[in-house]
Amino acid sequence: MGATLTPERTAARLCELSSDARTAVLIDAAGALAGSCDPDPERARMLGDLARELFETVDRATRDWEAEPAEQVEVQVQGGAVFASRTPRWTLAVVARRGALSSLMLYDLRAVLGELEGGPPIRVATAAEEGAPGRASEEDAAGDLPVPELGRDRDDEGSR
Amino acid sequence: MKDRRKGPIGRAAGIAEGVAAAVRRMQREREPRVLVYDQTGYARLIQPEARGHERILEVGERMVQVATGADDGRGGSRGGGSEEAA
Repeated sequence: MGATLTPERTAARLCELSSDARTAVLIDAAGALAGSCDPDPERARMLGDLARELFETVDRATRDWEAEPAEQVEVQVQGGAVFASRTPRWTLAVVARRGALSSLMLYDLRAVLGELEGGPPIRVATAAEEGAPGRASEEDAAGDLPVPELGRDRDDEGSR
Repeated sequence: MKDRRKGPIGRAAGIAEGVAAAVRRMQREREPRVLVYDQTGYARLIQPEARGHERILEVGERMVQVATGADDGRGGSRGGGSEEAA
């Protein structure tokens, strides 16, 4: 998990993170396919072309808007949803199930692209019984909380 | 402030209202739509009558068809595919 994310692994990383993702593709700034989690290369190539066309069409549709070019796109259609996110270097697009939460999908897209561009790696939490032994008590887990536990200071003072 | 006591008819009406609201919400969520987000996450809806809206939906539908294996060679046809076709 500590390894740097490569373009070839990026789409697969997104599909691992999100259970609602059916498939994902990564294309570079020139529009060439850089990675996919689809095992079929022909299908991956088609999805890459469509992802590029998606942003081209969005850019044409929003050309007259007094706003920055769109960074992310969400298309909800009858059989599913498409989410895409881009940086100056990469475009990552995912086809998701219809009920996928937009905010989560868009967050995952941005986080994975951030990781690809050298940002911090995404931490994936595991259930207590699946994880490594240790850190299983409530007291240990409370240590991870960003806010102090109520009454803890008073107890500490009493014990001094 | 006292809660108004509801009888069986009131409870049934409440349930019916909830179901109707859920159906309306599901229908609204199923409507095809296109949203674009800027860097700050601010969302804008591309209106159905806007230039390019139809083409964006066609591209999105095509992507879903390809991903679900429902690719039958049609380019940009509307209204196909089932939710769990994959």
